[in-house]
Amino acid sequence: MRRTLQKRTWPTGCLIGVCLVLFVLAAPAFAKKNRVGVGFTAEEILENTRLNETWQNSEMGCVFWPLVYDQFWILGPAPDYDPLPGIVKRWETDDYQTWRFYLVENAKFHDGSPVTAKDAAFTLWYLPKSNPAWAFPDNDIREKDAIKIIDDHTLEFKLAAKWPGKYPPAYWMPVLPEHIWMPHKRRLGNFDNDECIGSGPFKLKKYKGGEYFWMVKNDDYWGESAGVDEVVFKGYGSNDALYMALKKGQIEFIGYNGASPLSVEDFKKAENIDVAVAPGLAFIWLSFNLHKENAIQDKVVRQAIMHAIDRERLIQMVYLGYAQPSYSFIYPELPGYNPDLPKFEFDAEKSKAMLAGAGYVDSDGDGIRNNPGSGGDMTFEFMVPSAWSDEVKMAKLVKEQLRDVGIDIQVKVVDLDTYYEFIYTPTQDKFDLSISSEEPGPNGSWIWEFARGFHHGGSGWNQAFYDNPEFDRTFEAMLVETDVSKRRQLLFKMQAIIAEDLPYGLLLRYDHINPYRTDKYEGHVLTMGGFSNWINPWTYFKLRPKQ
Amino acid sequence: MGLTGDRIAKLKTFIRLLFSHRMGLAGFSVIVLFVLMALFASFLATVDPGRTGAAENILKAPSSRFWFGTDDLARDIWSQTIYGSRVSLTVGLVAALITVVSGTLVGLFAGFYGKFLEEVLMRIVDFFMMLPELPLMIVLAAVLGPSMWNIILVVSLVSWPTTARVVRSQVLSLKERPFVEASRCIGAGSLRLMFGEILPNVVPLMFAQAVIMITEAIYAEAVLSFLGLGDPMRVSWGMMLHYAFESGVIARAMWWVVPPIVSIVTLIVSFSLLGTAVSDVLEPGYKEKKGY
Amino acid sequence: MGMKGFILRKVVAAGLTIAAIVCVNFVIFRMAPGDPIRMMFNDPRASAADLARMKEKFGLDKPLSGQFVAYVKGLAGGDLGLSFSHRRPVLEVLAAKIPATLLLVVTALVIAVFLGVALGALSGWKSGTRLDTFILTASLTMYSIPTFALGIILLLVFAYHIAVFPLGGMVTPASLFEGGELLLDVLWHLFLPALSIVIWYVGEYVLLTRSAMIEVMGQEYITTAYAKGLKKFKILKNHALRNALLPVVTITGVNLGFAVAGVIEAETVFSWPGVGRLVYDAVSHRDYPLLQGVFLLFAFSVVLANLMIDLIYGFIDPRIKVAGEM
Repeated sequence: MRRTLQKRTWPTGCLIGVCLVLFVLAAPAFAKKNRVGVGFTAEEILENTRLNETWQNSEMGCVFWPLVYDQFWILGPAPDYDPLPGIVKRWETDDYQTWRFYLVENAKFHDGSPVTAKDAAFTLWYLPKSNPAWAFPDNDIREKDAIKIIDDHTLEFKLAAKWPGKYPPAYWMPVLPEHIWMPHKRRLGNFDNDECIGSGPFKLKKYKGGEYFWMVKNDDYWGESAGVDEVVFKGYGSNDALYMALKKGQIEFIGYNGASPLSVEDFKKAENIDVAVAPGLAFIWLSFNLHKENAIQDKVVRQAIMHAIDRERLIQMVYLGYAQPSYSFIYPELPGYNPDLPKFEFDAEKSKAMLAGAGYVDSDGDGIRNNPGSGGDMTFEFMVPSAWSDEVKMAKLVKEQLRDVGIDIQVKVVDLDTYYEFIYTPTQDKFDLSISSEEPGPNGSWIWEFARGFHHGGSGWNQAFYDNPEFDRTFEAMLVETDVSKRRQLLFKMQAIIAEDLPYGLLLRYDHINPYRTDKYEGHVLTMGGFSNWINPWTYFKLRPKQ
Repeated sequence: MGLTGDRIAKLKTFIRLLFSHRMGLAGFSVIVLFVLMALFASFLATVDPGRTGAAENILKAPSSRFWFGTDDLARDIWSQTIYGSRVSLTVGLVAALITVVSGTLVGLFAGFYGKFLEEVLMRIVDFFMMLPELPLMIVLAAVLGPSMWNIILVVSLVSWPTTARVVRSQVLSLKERPFVEASRCIGAGSLRLMFGEILPNVVPLMFAQAVIMITEAIYAEAVLSFLGLGDPMRVSWGMMLHYAFESGVIARAMWWVVPPIVSIVTLIVSFSLLGTAVSDVLEPGYKEKKGY
Repeated sequence: MGMKGFILRKVVAAGLTIAAIVCVNFVIFRMAPGDPIRMMFNDPRASAADLARMKEKFGLDKPLSGQFVAYVKGLAGGDLGLSFSHRRPVLEVLAAKIPATLLLVVTALVIAVFLGVALGALSGWKSGTRLDTFILTASLTMYSIPTFALGIILLLVFAYHIAVFPLGGMVTPASLFEGGELLLDVLWHLFLPALSIVIWYVGEYVLLTRSAMIEVMGQEYITTAYAKGLKKFKILKNHALRNALLPVVTITGVNLGFAVAGVIEAETVFSWPGVGRLVYDAVSHRDYPLLQGVFLLFAFSVVLANLMIDLIYGFIDPRIKVAGEM
């Protein structure tokens, strides 16, 4: 009896099982949501949603929070990068020091409570104080009563110094709900913030640290609704896996760093994938340590070094042509760029002549030039962090190029933390030259802090120990100059001084390579630095399914 | 120590047995090939392995000009493979030498003097043997900095206990043998006994240990370099794999990956075969089996 | 003394080893270059006052002996320091990754032991035949291939060119799989990394079991049993294998040190999110506290596992207990 029962229930059980499995597998299809996958490496996916410097500095952090939180105003897309209203629909000022912000009136946080001037004031006062990563001259407010709440949607505040120029102050700040954050006002970074309540066009639905972040459209958003239902940031174990996922359709584009130049050919051949190339956000330059006692302190030597470096070869070898030579900290496509800067083009013969003319000849016949004073070989320590593989390659190429003009380079590869420690304390004399890289952004006047003299209030960014009172004066004048054309003249002068004195030798600006899928979605917005970076949340706002 | 006629004869037999062992001979021949490769690297290589090439030659497949193709800085893989043998052999041989010499000294003293000295030394040895090798090597290499000599130091530091232990056991059993008693009777001092009588009998074991240590040292250099702790100033097979893995294009460049892997494996296998031959030859009764 | 004394001695020895490991760890890491406080704040604008305050908070302004005491106290409380690259407590970072590593190691070891012992026993039983030579040579070769090299080959061949397995990781990212689907996904990702570890181990266990088998086979009681007319296979199972297993158990203990190496290599190549991969990441970032924590974790595990093996061995073989008392 038992045996026959078994025989009959077995196939039926199987059938039911198969149906269940099919149903479970098919269930997601019933949902029919537009879910945009964006690829990051597993390392880049945040471990938690705490408000700390990762929201400023990390690849995923700076792309994630502008989706879930509103900013006061947003940097607009290319080509003008104009300031566009965020939660502040209008701003006013008479003297560029006291500002009035008029907030949008119907904005609500994801938990339903309204966004008011109280939240804006809370953010303006406590956010920069909680972490130096958030403190900038454009949100430098010294007393609490310098912030006045006029009414529910109007705010007035006075900065410590004038902030003239194209952009209003208080850039790049997430507007925090005061009722959630007030208990943690002393240590914002200690709050778990698991629910991540903001007022932005997306809500955080679920996340798994190091694996994925799942965001859904905010249906009650006060502004223009997102064109897609969901955005998922996915973490892959390696770049290979990331690229494979893009080709297989698991992700639509890459979240911050784009793809390596070596992979472009492969992507161009793939189906339903296009490659968009944009100028990058980052500059790469050489920092000369002007504190250390050696030939680097001689301007002629620095100029000769710049003539000896073949930027084109660096661009070809390291970036396969996907980079532009650069000569200034300002992007060439912006109006502030000084086109008449001395360029020190690649000319090995000129370099050799300059060095010989200044007394640096090879007196001992070993192929390396000697210092006229001490007679020792011209050997310089060139510091580069091990984590920056492109820059390590560049160091090798620069070493070869300088050897060709008789200068010996010892490449010193250190870990990233030691690099940061050494590069910002040139007085420790741990390097002669170093490679350096930063992303100033179109709104990046802070980059000039790199050249502000130490005893002139320089806040520690000066890698070269550069000290030029004329530069400092010009810089300070530029910061408070309200007249647009005068301001530009001052900016031109600053660039000329740096290019002439060479505390920093600008090298190049690498392109951003963006492979992206073309079969399901359209509306990608390309700015400098690609589809998805800290100045560009627009792709996420504007993306929609293909019609 | 003294190379008596008797000892020379033993040595001759040992070598003859070794060479007649098929696997041992095969291993030895391959090792000789690699040594020649390392010595004559400048003749065998086609270009300077560290020199970057022209941009259009980046990541090229093997051709008549680049026999093993090129890497992502247009450097020649064939030349890198040839020069890489120098690092592997240097690390292997020098680390093994240091390991065996220091391990033998410790084992000799511990086994011979016994009592307190032995207790202390053996406790230290036990402790070291407990530590997981690779993590310890990684930690030391990370702290000391990337250089070939640091790797040699680190490998030796981690490997000497095994030799010490093995030598000590041998010394313990040798201590009670009649010829040692005999020497003691005629009044030979401790040091003379240790180095004059016991050590020569430990030498075959040292040799066997050395061969094993060489394979471990070559393996260790490959792993440490792969993880990024290798000497960036030198071309080594492990560093080649490190750069290939980091480049993001490893899947498209099999020619970059296969030569270093094949070289590492072949070198390790050859020393293993030699090691098997040595331990076989040292088996009591082997000589008789082979008709000597 | 007997059993109790045996256990006590082994436990005390393990405890002393752990204490020594802690000291060594402390010394090594104070040798590490770089300023740990500056490293935590990659911000050049952090003022000298801020740095001094942090130094005080982490007790780094005390003399070395004071630091050591604080370090040991911290360890006892589970404080392994702060990871520079993760900006979180090291213990937290480690704890999250342990399950993944356990899954990989246990799976690989279990498969390797069964397969290796079986093949080794077979090889030893049929010693001298062509089959034996084949198994022996194959094992020797497999044992000589570094795990990471094998891993790279497997990855390129089976995950890229013939793409039947995934290119690393433990799960398909953000797949939102549950239950059975999730299990299958993990197993699919587990296959290649486990295989790369298994191959090396099988080689070793084969060599070991084979030589133990040969030695045992030469013993008198085997020939006696044979003479008595017992069937070959029964002899193999009941007598030879049981005695050959003893060294296998010991070697598994010693092997745990090597298991660690295999795991670090396999996890690195296959981006398996376990403790081994953390080592590679920590090395890339020169995250010394994390490296220190991983080292301690591995060292402690090996000591504890060896302790367990010793105790098991003591139970199995009564001769050991008596001998140990000498």
